[in-house]
Amino acid sequence: MSAASNNARPDSATLELFAQDLDQIRSNTMAKVGQKDANYIRNVIRVQRVSEIGGRVALVLGFISPVWWVVGVLLLAFAKILDNMEIGHNVMHGQYDWMNDPNINGRNFEWDHAADSDSWRRYHNHEHHTYTNIIGKDRDFGYGLLRLSDDTSWRPKNRWQILTYLNLSAMFELGVAYHEVAGERIFMGKRRKTSSLPITRKELRNAFFSKAGRQFFKDYVFFPLLCFPMFLPVLAGNFLANILRNLWTSTVIFCGHFTEEVHTFSIEDCENETQGEWYYRQILGSSNFEGRRWLHILSGHLSCQIEHHLFPDVPAYHYVEMGKQVQAVCKKYDIPYNTGSFGKQYLTVVKRVLKYSFPSKIEAASV
Amino acid sequence: MSINTNTLDIRHTIWSWIARNLTNNVSFKAYFEPLIQLFFPQWRADRFRSSVIDVRRESDDMYSLVIKPNKQWKGFRAGQYIELTVEKEGAWVSRFFSISSSPRYFNDSGLIEISIRIQENGQITPWLPQALKAGGVVNLSQAEGEFCLADSTTISGVTASTPTTKPILMIAGGSGITPFRSMLQQISLNGLAVSKPVSLMYYARSPEHFLFKEALNTYQQQVPNLTVNFIDTNELGFFSDAHLLKYCDDFAIRDIYICGPSPMIMHARKVLQNQNVNQEQIHYEFFGPEPVSLEGSGQASSVLFQQSGKQVTTNKDEPKTLLTLAEDAQLKPLSGCRIGVCHQCICQKKSGVVYNSKTKTYSDTGQEEIQLCVSVPVADVVLAL
Repeated sequence: MSAASNNARPDSATLELFAQDLDQIRSNTMAKVGQKDANYIRNVIRVQRVSEIGGRVALVLGFISPVWWVVGVLLLAFAKILDNMEIGHNVMHGQYDWMNDPNINGRNFEWDHAADSDSWRRYHNHEHHTYTNIIGKDRDFGYGLLRLSDDTSWRPKNRWQILTYLNLSAMFELGVAYHEVAGERIFMGKRRKTSSLPITRKELRNAFFSKAGRQFFKDYVFFPLLCFPMFLPVLAGNFLANILRNLWTSTVIFCGHFTEEVHTFSIEDCENETQGEWYYRQILGSSNFEGRRWLHILSGHLSCQIEHHLFPDVPAYHYVEMGKQVQAVCKKYDIPYNTGSFGKQYLTVVKRVLKYSFPSKIEAASV
Repeated sequence: MSINTNTLDIRHTIWSWIARNLTNNVSFKAYFEPLIQLFFPQWRADRFRSSVIDVRRESDDMYSLVIKPNKQWKGFRAGQYIELTVEKEGAWVSRFFSISSSPRYFNDSGLIEISIRIQENGQITPWLPQALKAGGVVNLSQAEGEFCLADSTTISGVTASTPTTKPILMIAGGSGITPFRSMLQQISLNGLAVSKPVSLMYYARSPEHFLFKEALNTYQQQVPNLTVNFIDTNELGFFSDAHLLKYCDDFAIRDIYICGPSPMIMHARKVLQNQNVNQEQIHYEFFGPEPVSLEGSGQASSVLFQQSGKQVTTNKDEPKTLLTLAEDAQLKPLSGCRIGVCHQCICQKKSGVVYNSKTKTYSDTGQEEIQLCVSVPVADVVLAL
């Protein structure tokens, strides 16, 4: 385990007690899950629908005044953010499967996003959430593009990785869609010799093109053509809404995993891991940010990334409340709990990207 | 007809393709569902929102729901069942019930009835009457099932009273009477439509457990060829060769319909087979969910993988998760982390009870989504796999 702080891992007896406390928080919360949660998610979906429809109409009204166009862009971006974060991400984690509603179900849900949801369920729900921050197993750590710890050796391209990061952020949707395809090295580079995919590489490639193509068709062909005289403004509006959504989701996710204090782990760390050790790793591999209610909703409650990683299938709406209890438990066992204001956390992300743009001292000395 | 169906199919395919492309939902209805629910609570794109007119007590442990189905609902044949869905604490719960009233009655009044036995420790059947008392809303599926009189092609729209051609023997156990009540009401309302004899052997564990007793007696008076025998098992014992000879000695030339609890159906089939009754003459339908017995979780249970048609029996000394059981049966369900985190192995359970080793909770008996990798079967389970 490589860590920026000096906290040593508590012994296994302590972690056992620690796990019991966290399990208790989970079951207390699950006992409360019911009608209120169902109403909540249905309301969020309603707001999403109204914003999406309203946004698309407002874009067309841009011919009356550009103010309408701006409103349209913002509404559409808002709808896409809600769809991806508070609805899609959480539903696809199975948080609302207990509702037995086929349209709000982890297995069936498809989001307004270039990434094929099945692909995302494989590498995000499975790989990232099981092997959080294990270098060599969790490809989400740096996305194969950025060097964010000393676990990987420095290469000259890391010098300008802040630009790579900004690019990735703007095109985040495509990065997410391309992530699994790239991991298998389907188009260029060395192919992985062994693939753990439950589908063939051809199916993976087809799913990638089919979903990304569908999104492209919708936003850049169908709706612009439908509003033909407004073709260009609608096209540009859709493009801008997608970019705004990308910047936001990327920022939220970077603040949840790549702040300065976040720890990384080696494959040995997760061998024969107990529940307590697993919880411990999830906490050290994530970070929270604080804010008002709307900030939590817009981030899909990934502002509570720690709670999300501990309890990925508990309805996210409860994370803020659970966060207070988790933080208290962490304090009790002297386990670091990484949180701060949104701005502060973002600054440490930038710091981390910059810091590892350069070789570490040991490496530098040997160069 | 086939051309029509084809064009409809093509149109449907095109529409759902467009809906998927534009909304990422399976249909436009599904996309707008949450908005429509604002005005019609519990409205659903793939179900028929129907109102409950009355909840009628039938006996100590049985009640009937009188339902006015939504106008788009297509009707049914006597003996068919529906899937009834209601929202309980934010979750949709579904159960299958036979319709206990007749298509003719539905034609005349626009109403159907379903009769429900209260399951002890059940989560739904005891709760429903309270929840629906003041005119509640339920969702219906279209009617399904082939447990109908062979030539009773009387779909609700068509009131043609085709006379039955072969004599009929009906064997009912407990709440298994409901589809027969529907058939007999149909025959009675259609007037003297039965040219051949119909005989009903109705088993219950005590006199107060006979349902629709008055109605059945009335039908008997109205329909000359109908015989109804109420058989109290406490006094007269279970279905047997002796009963057959006593109540319906010409059973060998009849079409035989059996409905009731699973053990009773198995038993009746065995008795009839020993009497050399032709298999094709015997029609049967298992009725209702099995009662929940969590204490019995130490017993071996069977798991049926519905889509692949495979069935396995668990070993009580060595509990295995459904994922392992499926893999042992050479099935390859999608799976991921195997510790209940990634939700890739989610599968629909059609019926039965499972224990979730992660949340340490037992499931309900009905249809719901479960995680294969952390679920252990505790009662006979049917999976959509």
